[in-house]
Amino acid sequence: MSALAEPNGAPIVDPRARRRRLLRRRFLRRPMAVGGLVVVLVFVVMAIFAPWLAPFDPSATDFNATLAHGSARHLLGTDEFGRDQLSRLIWGARASMQVGFLSTLLGMGIAVPLGMVAGYYRGWIDTVIARVTDVLLSFPFLILAVGLAAILGASLLNATLALGISAVPAFIRIARGETLALREEDYIPAAVVNGANDATIIFKHILPNMTNTLLVQATVTIPGAIVGEAVLSFLGLGVQPPKPSWGTMLQDAQQYLAQAPRMAVYPGLAIVFAALAFNVLGDGLRDILDPRTTR
Amino acid sequence: MPAPLLEVADLSVRFDTDDGPVHAVDRMSFTLGQGEVLGIVGESGCGKSVTCMSLVRLLPETATVSGRVVFDGRDLLALPPRQLRRVRGREISYVFQEPMTSLNPVFTVGHQVGEVLRRHLGLSRSAARARAIELLRLVRIPAADRRLDEYPHQLSGGMRQRVMIAIALACDPKVLVADEPTTALDVTIQAGILDLMRDIRERLGTAIILITHNLGVVADVADRVLVMYAGRKAEEAPVAELFAHPQHPYTIGLLGAIPRPYEGEGTRARLQEIPGRVPSLHELPQACAFADRCPRADERTRSEIPPLREVRPHHLVACFHPGEDGA
Repeated sequence: MSALAEPNGAPIVDPRARRRRLLRRRFLRRPMAVGGLVVVLVFVVMAIFAPWLAPFDPSATDFNATLAHGSARHLLGTDEFGRDQLSRLIWGARASMQVGFLSTLLGMGIAVPLGMVAGYYRGWIDTVIARVTDVLLSFPFLILAVGLAAILGASLLNATLALGISAVPAFIRIARGETLALREEDYIPAAVVNGANDATIIFKHILPNMTNTLLVQATVTIPGAIVGEAVLSFLGLGVQPPKPSWGTMLQDAQQYLAQAPRMAVYPGLAIVFAALAFNVLGDGLRDILDPRTTR
Repeated sequence: MPAPLLEVADLSVRFDTDDGPVHAVDRMSFTLGQGEVLGIVGESGCGKSVTCMSLVRLLPETATVSGRVVFDGRDLLALPPRQLRRVRGREISYVFQEPMTSLNPVFTVGHQVGEVLRRHLGLSRSAARARAIELLRLVRIPAADRRLDEYPHQLSGGMRQRVMIAIALACDPKVLVADEPTTALDVTIQAGILDLMRDIRERLGTAIILITHNLGVVADVADRVLVMYAGRKAEEAPVAELFAHPQHPYTIGLLGAIPRPYEGEGTRARLQEIPGRVPSLHELPQACAFADRCPRADERTRSEIPPLREVRPHHLVACFHPGEDGA
């Protein structure tokens, strides 16, 4: 399409491309956001290419080198079973990213349709959905997740489910609020007079107008879920040893804090950096997607 | 006389609010012929928009609509929703007052024109695009093929209103309802839009219901005029007849309130306003709604609703004391 040219030979500038260029320029002007994106990408690459990046099998023990300091062989040292910490950290990123992205997608998948239905139809269905949401929101996110994980049983999949469901109330509230505002826009009745049905209005006219808000909320939910996964695994409700996860690494480190504090430091730093990077990225996205931003 | 395209009979609309029922429209009847331009005139809140919104049931659920709206042999007020949606935008379409906000900001103009075509006519993406270019040319948007890929915020108000009209005309509707289509626009652009309306009627034979509070607009484009007051029809006549021989004191008052450009020495008369206020629609009196503001009012005016009478050929008026002499 963009290859088309006007009869006089001037290229058509696709407005979509123009907007993308503008957003990119705004983004690049924000060093924090760029830094956040870089760190996020590093973790994502670690997660995807873990088998190739990790120097050792994360479960392979080496009893000749337990609780070893960092060395050329084991860059970040080893744990009490002589497992390579760097490899475990890289594999742990896989669990964290998987839970972070999947639980957020799950939460959005459940919450956004519910929130939009509540906001669009109002009436009793709105009352039911909104009140239940309020009740769920009165539980702190992690308490809800821990409770659900305890009911579902300990595994990576169940941790994802528990964290995803825990993210639902916040997403419902946002989707409902946005729908309430957007349904009053003049283009909604304009679509109705042109014969649009409810599904068309909800999915074609309301949903695309709230993608920015949902995107920003997602960048807040993902780090929450990453921390949540670590907490659940630490408590034994998530990833089960000997499988690697930042949470289980912290759990292992607990007993050896005096002898080998680095065992806690590295996974701790990984969690902090991952959560911080997503948050900073989210702040940046919110700023550049806000139409009032001029810079 | 052939059967009218649209026949509205005894249409009443009541809104149930927390402060009790509001009678927005009270037993309105009118017809619209093939290719006719009907102007509906009245002050804000007299029920002109509500009347037209109720034709294809666009009102919120708090509204109770009764009467009949017969279009093409079908009573639209009794039509199931699915069939009604096929009438909306395909056979009867609307242009609203707010061109600035009536387009969805996240889609291109071409997408939004094409959406209607794909929905109602089942056109493919490329066919819809080709037709959308034609439509934008029809509403005289310059460089239509380039405008197609632009977003609403890149267009001016006049251009957006033209796009709205293009969307309304996309499926070649039989009736176009234009609710104050020029009110939000600059005067110079208004003329262009009205010109376009006339052009559409002539080229496509679309019947138009033009809602406005501006008698000048009506004089310009309408064939027939319907004056509404407080939810009721006050007067109805062909446009030339109404301007030459207004009968209802309210119509006379409206005509007296039109500013006239300087017409020579000593003609700069003060604009005449109509004294008093529009009655509350909460309790429409069993009397002429205009009685309290009318110089001709008497006992009978205050105790009976005046029926519509044909006082001159094709000229209906709801008044006990019709007449042209200054009110």
